[in-house]
Amino acid sequence: MRVPIRMIGIATTFFWIFLIAFFVSAVYSVKDVHFDFGGPQVSLTADNEMVFSLPVSITNRGFYNIGSFNISTEISDKEGFTITRGSTFIPVINKNDVATVTHNMTIDFNGLLQRDQNYLLNDTELKIYEAVSMRIADVIPVQASTNFSMPWGAPLYNFSLAEPAYAPYNLTHFRVTVPISFENHAFFDLVGDMQIRMYNSTGARVGRARTSLEGYANSPYKGFIEFYVSMTGTTPTGRFEVYFSTSVFDYGPLVIHYG
Amino acid sequence: MADTNNDFKKRVRNFTFKALKATVKGILFYAIYFVLWMFLAPISEIVPGLQQMIETFVMVYIVLIIVGELTSGTIFQYFFNVAKALFVIGYLIFSLKGGIFGLTFQNVSLMVDLRVFLAIAMLLSLLGLAKSVLQAINYMSEKAEYTRI
Repeated sequence: MRVPIRMIGIATTFFWIFLIAFFVSAVYSVKDVHFDFGGPQVSLTADNEMVFSLPVSITNRGFYNIGSFNISTEISDKEGFTITRGSTFIPVINKNDVATVTHNMTIDFNGLLQRDQNYLLNDTELKIYEAVSMRIADVIPVQASTNFSMPWGAPLYNFSLAEPAYAPYNLTHFRVTVPISFENHAFFDLVGDMQIRMYNSTGARVGRARTSLEGYANSPYKGFIEFYVSMTGTTPTGRFEVYFSTSVFDYGPLVIHYG
Repeated sequence: MADTNNDFKKRVRNFTFKALKATVKGILFYAIYFVLWMFLAPISEIVPGLQQMIETFVMVYIVLIIVGELTSGTIFQYFFNVAKALFVIGYLIFSLKGGIFGLTFQNVSLMVDLRVFLAIAMLLSLLGLAKSVLQAINYMSEKAEYTRI
């Protein structure tokens, strides 16, 4: 009986040595794995969707390959509604190798505005969940995750149309001047067109006009729009309907009452 | 009188040899821990309490090695070997929290899934436990045979 017991002892010792050596070397090699995150970039697709790109470089100087490397990002609003999520997967990062990927996330701003126009007019906070997971030595799964908030700057913050100023143009028409003001708190420039339709108190359209918009990021905008309305249709009260068509989004009508 | 004196001397020599063997084993085990710790040291900066956790394990394990060695040649040696195997199983389960090891560092949550490692370590510990039980049975059966002869 002594020989089998001794054999069990030898086998156990061998496997313990192997297990401990593997575990310690796998943990030790983690310190030789480096992550470099480049500066985030924003671009527009042909469908007017915003694409956030984050270049990531992973340098594996450890003893083992890294398997199933995954970066996941989820952006949600204060109520927990998921605005977008993105995921980047690398099956294997070999030892002594450098892997460079671009982590992309696409935001359909038009779809977002359909849900809540507050993103257009009010600053808010977005919740971001970021997770990086991998398999060290292809065996030990590790995941690091974090939550943080990011301020969202509204592109048409504090958008307002002042009271229309009427000036006689001819015997039948007024020239109406409407001052426009807002602050572009967004990280992107607002370039496009704005269309205004003026309705009187009976709901009849009395005039309309189009103007170009150039609201630079983090800058206030002040301008005006001029158009002509019939003297007979004009009433002291009514409403404006404003339509925006920019490189990032199309939105309208935004209803603003006057008088 | 001379026989009693010889017997006493033999016992002292025997105990001294066992103590020496236990000391050498203890020092050897600590040396292995010391070498391995050099590799794990960078991780201990990220994982708070890792050093304390491993040191506690090493201390208790060395105590069990020494006591097991001092009681060698008796049935108690196998009791301590069983205790050692059970201690490894219990300590791994408790310290690794069932294999899913999580910690929060500032705003970052880190989760390490050590279930595969834990399962292999459990199997090896159970093998060690079985070995100790077999050794105890073997010891008792050999003792019974000698007594009969």
